[in-house]
Amino acid sequence: MFDRIVAHLRAPVRIDPAFDERVMAEIATLPALTPVRPVAAWRRLAPLAGLAVAATALVLIARPAPSTRRLQFVVDAPQAATVSLVGDFNDWDAARTPMRLLRADGPVWSAVVPLAPGRYRYAFLVNGSRWLPDSAAPAGSDDGFGAPSSVVTVSGT
Amino acid sequence: MGKEKVGTSDADLVRRVRAGDTGAYAALVARYRDRLGRYAVHMLGNREEAEEALQDAFVRGYRSLGRCDSPERFGAWLFGILVNRCRTAGARAARRRRVFVHDEAALNGASLPNGPNAPNMIERAEFEDLVRWALGRLTPEHREAFLLKFVEDLEYEEMARLTGAGVSALKMRVKRAREQLQVILREAEHV
Amino acid sequence: MKRVALLAVLMVATRAAAQEPRLERVDPAARAPVAALLDSARATGLSTEPLIQRALEGTTKGAPADRVIAAVRRLVADLGRAREALGPSAAPPEIEAGAAALRAGAPPSVLTQLRVARRPPLTMALAVLADLVASGVPADRAAAAVLTLASTARDADLLEFRRAVERDIALGAPPAAATAVRLDASARAARPGRP
Repeated sequence: MFDRIVAHLRAPVRIDPAFDERVMAEIATLPALTPVRPVAAWRRLAPLAGLAVAATALVLIARPAPSTRRLQFVVDAPQAATVSLVGDFNDWDAARTPMRLLRADGPVWSAVVPLAPGRYRYAFLVNGSRWLPDSAAPAGSDDGFGAPSSVVTVSGT
Repeated sequence: MGKEKVGTSDADLVRRVRAGDTGAYAALVARYRDRLGRYAVHMLGNREEAEEALQDAFVRGYRSLGRCDSPERFGAWLFGILVNRCRTAGARAARRRRVFVHDEAALNGASLPNGPNAPNMIERAEFEDLVRWALGRLTPEHREAFLLKFVEDLEYEEMARLTGAGVSALKMRVKRAREQLQVILREAEHV
Repeated sequence: MKRVALLAVLMVATRAAAQEPRLERVDPAARAPVAALLDSARATGLSTEPLIQRALEGTTKGAPADRVIAAVRRLVADLGRAREALGPSAAPPEIEAGAAALRAGAPPSVLTQLRVARRPPLTMALAVLADLVASGVPADRAAAAVLTLASTARDADLLEFRRAVERDIALGAPPAAATAVRLDASARAARPGRP
């Protein structure tokens, strides 16, 4: 009987994937993490050089990094069942930043994303197949990908 | 010619979150929610509280990510946070005198139904209730030690790190937990 | 013989994916060439992140492998030229914005002049330059405007300048004229003791 109990307790438990959304939504309301500036591939250098660079790397980490700013992206998307915000800030992964309907009576979708200073290309993906640019933002350069992009620049000051 | 599947490691994801890519944390949540959820469910006895403690742990994990010294062991680090959250949640529930088991009768000390049709024909749902009830009869410390050892398969040294208790104390708790469960289950088994 | 070649490609691709796991999402036909581009960029000290993002963008949009490779190759070149124009102390966001400005049509000399005219970070100034040109403002007009504002305007002011110009263009003003008008307005506002 004891073994049966243990076997039962060890059985996998499935948490509803909606849980992920709740966690990320709560995280989105937090004050931004101060990002640690990523260290370059100094470990690839020869061992002797590594020492000097290691000291530099420590300095890099010690210097306070610019903080992120939370930006709201909004798009008008009639006849949309789902809308995703996709861009340089989420590896162009359409599953990472689903947008929410702002108002029940209008097709306005919104998402809030924390962004470190820099320039980001992005677009909206409607119903998993139709790409929309942000009509309120500058256009990104065309790379012949067959779908538009917009750009947003976050100031470091 | 087996090609090893390369995924995004915990260390990679932690690095990216620290660099400002909050979305990368979602991958860590997806990776660990079920495994950590299992512990929370059995420790706290109900889904709702378990998910609350789990969410709390993930959010705290995010906020204190800078203090994760070994990003490649993010899962273990986060589990430590969860164990702590479950203790707080458990203590809070005890103070509110919340019912651990859903069966009021059992709480009042009534034993499980005996009789000719009883335990040998325990149905699956009842079995789950039985387990939940039996675990609930343990003290939180014993339950915690039992789950960490028999369900999470941790070594005593690791358990000591997580709980702050000494190895011998933990061994004693696990032993007692096991003994108590045997007694409780024997009660249920006998006609 | 063909099978050996295919195996070699797969092995290179696997090594590449091991170094940068996100490359796994990229079309196998593009993976090795993109990985090689990442390697060469890394070797010259350029950040690989914008390159990875460009490859992922093409992948998500369903672009054919040759387009993805071409886009990444072009970006490597732009980033290199931007870094050359902005100097070795330029930060990655500045280099990326500089690359965008060059791609939009601004000459490298403008980037170098900007470096002299304005304290870092230059990211917003370069971004505004790129965006103005993307909106249809002739490159020389956009460059002149940004350089004029560079020494005195804050990032927020540059951003507002760009938005104002774009609003005017949306309302029908010719891009060059819109830029001149807004520049004039900024100059008047900055002058002390104005009427």
